[in-house]
Amino acid sequence: MLLSRVADNLYWGARYLERAEDTARVVRNFTELLLDLPTGVASSWEPLLAVAGSRQEYDELHTSAKENDIVRFLVADPSNGGSVVSSVEAARENLRTTREVLPREAWQAINDLYLFTSRDTESGVDRRSRSRYLGRVMADCQRLDGVLSGMMRRDQAYELWRLGQMIERADMTTRVLGVRAASLLSTPIDAHDYDEVQWMGVLKSVTAMQMYQRSRRGPIDGASVIAFLLFDETFPRSVAGCVHRMRAALGRLPHPELTLPAVDQLDDLLATLPAEATDGAALDRAMDRVQMALSDLNTRVYETFVSGMA
Amino acid sequence: MAELRTSADLWDELLAADGTPRAAAAELVQRLHGLGLAELQQRQDLAELDIVGMGITFTMYSDGRGIDRAWPFDVIPRVIAAEEWRSIERGLVQRLRAINMFIDDVYHDQRIIRDGVFPADLLEHSVNFRQECVGANPKFGVWAHISGSDLVRDGDGTMYVLEDNLRVPSGVSYVLENRAISKRAFADLFAKQSILPVDAYTDELNRMLSSLAPEGVSEPTIAVLTPGIYNSAYFEHSFLAQRIGAALVEGIDLVVGDDECVYMRTIDGLERVHIIYRRVDDLFIDPEVFREDSSLGVPGLMRAWRAGNVAIANAPGAGVADDKVVYAWVPDIIRYYLGEEPLLPNVPTYRCVYDDERQYVIDHIEELVVKPANESGGYGLLIGNRASRSQLDDAIARIEADPRNWVAQPILALSTVPTLCDGQLEPRHVDLRPFILSGETNYVSAGGLTRVALRRGSLVVNSSQGGGSKDTWIVEA
Repeated sequence: MLLSRVADNLYWGARYLERAEDTARVVRNFTELLLDLPTGVASSWEPLLAVAGSRQEYDELHTSAKENDIVRFLVADPSNGGSVVSSVEAARENLRTTREVLPREAWQAINDLYLFTSRDTESGVDRRSRSRYLGRVMADCQRLDGVLSGMMRRDQAYELWRLGQMIERADMTTRVLGVRAASLLSTPIDAHDYDEVQWMGVLKSVTAMQMYQRSRRGPIDGASVIAFLLFDETFPRSVAGCVHRMRAALGRLPHPELTLPAVDQLDDLLATLPAEATDGAALDRAMDRVQMALSDLNTRVYETFVSGMA
Repeated sequence: MAELRTSADLWDELLAADGTPRAAAAELVQRLHGLGLAELQQRQDLAELDIVGMGITFTMYSDGRGIDRAWPFDVIPRVIAAEEWRSIERGLVQRLRAINMFIDDVYHDQRIIRDGVFPADLLEHSVNFRQECVGANPKFGVWAHISGSDLVRDGDGTMYVLEDNLRVPSGVSYVLENRAISKRAFADLFAKQSILPVDAYTDELNRMLSSLAPEGVSEPTIAVLTPGIYNSAYFEHSFLAQRIGAALVEGIDLVVGDDECVYMRTIDGLERVHIIYRRVDDLFIDPEVFREDSSLGVPGLMRAWRAGNVAIANAPGAGVADDKVVYAWVPDIIRYYLGEEPLLPNVPTYRCVYDDERQYVIDHIEELVVKPANESGGYGLLIGNRASRSQLDDAIARIEADPRNWVAQPILALSTVPTLCDGQLEPRHVDLRPFILSGETNYVSAGGLTRVALRRGSLVVNSSQGGGSKDTWIVEA
């Protein structure tokens, strides 16, 4: 038994928390990547806005694109609903109304994280403390994840949580691919001095570096990075891995006949993608289509479990 | 070394007048002496960190906004000897049995009025009497399933019942949380002596609520009905739902079907609810019957309840006995229904509805606490010897305008417990709210919520008005 209202809050709590973790990760890795690149090679911070999907919101409020402005917007700005601090706060607000279905330790974990992120937001912006701050955000998100996997019955609440988490996570992986990977593919061949470092950056933005290395032999190769992040079902942050987990979650929730067609659509889309990507613009368009399909699934989840309109 | 002080004319819960520890508090006092102020302060600080980290909060209202505040807690517990506690327990059970019989009578034959023990006009003017409840038959004849009676101890050591909260009393979650925190602060003392555990409360609550299930339902579904996240006690609603495995619902989650049964909207569709532990005031539970503008309630809930398809705890209308005027009759109510003398005394209460008692109140207002009959949370309360002349005149004008709604009591010298204030140990006034469960049988929480007035000399213990709390130890000698 799970109340529709609670289901909605759980689903969004999971999405916000995943968004906080993922945003923290891409900002941290982008920061570290730019430190490795010599001045002149891709020193713009703007791709970060595109990865976070916040380009438009940012441009409405800012005229320049300086590092600290962009990082502050993505990490510490309470008026940006997608910033790390806003996502953590929204996750906490959602979990406040779901406390009776989650283990108590989950509430303590989100509460700790909230107290941490809201205390000194500027330390998430300052270059000297940024990495530590964002690292703590990621670690606390994983602590909560660990609480749920180690303490919770695999009930409807658990599956809804996983569903929200996977939709948000897949969304981030497609944005990393659609922005970062696509732009690397499109760059003329002679500008590729720092190719490896850049592709490593792509992997690290979704903590895939080590797992990619373990699954391949030889040096990093752009096409195989893309294939890994799209198709390797055994990697929990690949698009296929997320879709696989969504299917499992929806199969254990009521009315799979209403929700699974939206997952079929995602699988169909993945099946049409070439095994070896070479065209950056095509990859970007494909990722847009996957994001549209995720958004359709989101609508279907709402109609089936929350509004009762399905 | 931490010095414990007490005031000569007050009863301290830990120390006798000569400064020696009371028997049940001997271990604690010895430990406090040994610890020193710095160490005590450190334990206090750790306790406060735990409270913030565990997200133990209550909601305050300021400028129309709800603000989540950390629950105020003082690390030094209040101690009651187990032997005294057992007699308090018996007194509370007696009181609640009689009060429930009174409520049931009031909504049926009104024998107590016909027998001339309780005045008819009091009932007619009661704002908590619900005509819509007349003739209803809640299981076991019990209406106030969960109640909290506030106890205070006067300067001579007598424990009095100050008021009975029969509508939606709150605070029990903090009893359990305070204990969790205080076990960390004084682990060694818990190991050394026998302090009654408090955790059984939620299990007893679950058992009592389940026993209210409609006939033939063996595995009932329980829901806790909350006004929502902005209610000051939302933390508690969620805590209790969590502890008893109930769904925490808001009015919008529930619907009454054509079959006059209550259902909640789940992701599987509508699911039947058999028992509602409501934490919404009864005027708001059903816009069909009570306030039409209420969005907190469920249209048709009263129909479902009267049809016996859902149990509501506390039953609608139970508040009729939660009234500072009815309170004054509780000793008579106990004698009338049970044929027993009250085991726990009432504070003497002047009822302004009577000309002679009202005149006494007006003449002696400086010596009295004046209270509106139907407010909770300490609102509207006036303490005569601390009020200005114009405040007193205002109070008199309000009493004369609406005498039924006012009562007055002598100012009690509330007992004290040493409390950590600005790094020093100072005696501060306390009260005690035990929680009583009433179903087929009765259960009293082990101790209750000790609330403490943190300001020097203050008698107002409500957390909404700057009060704090302490753990309450029932210690086996």
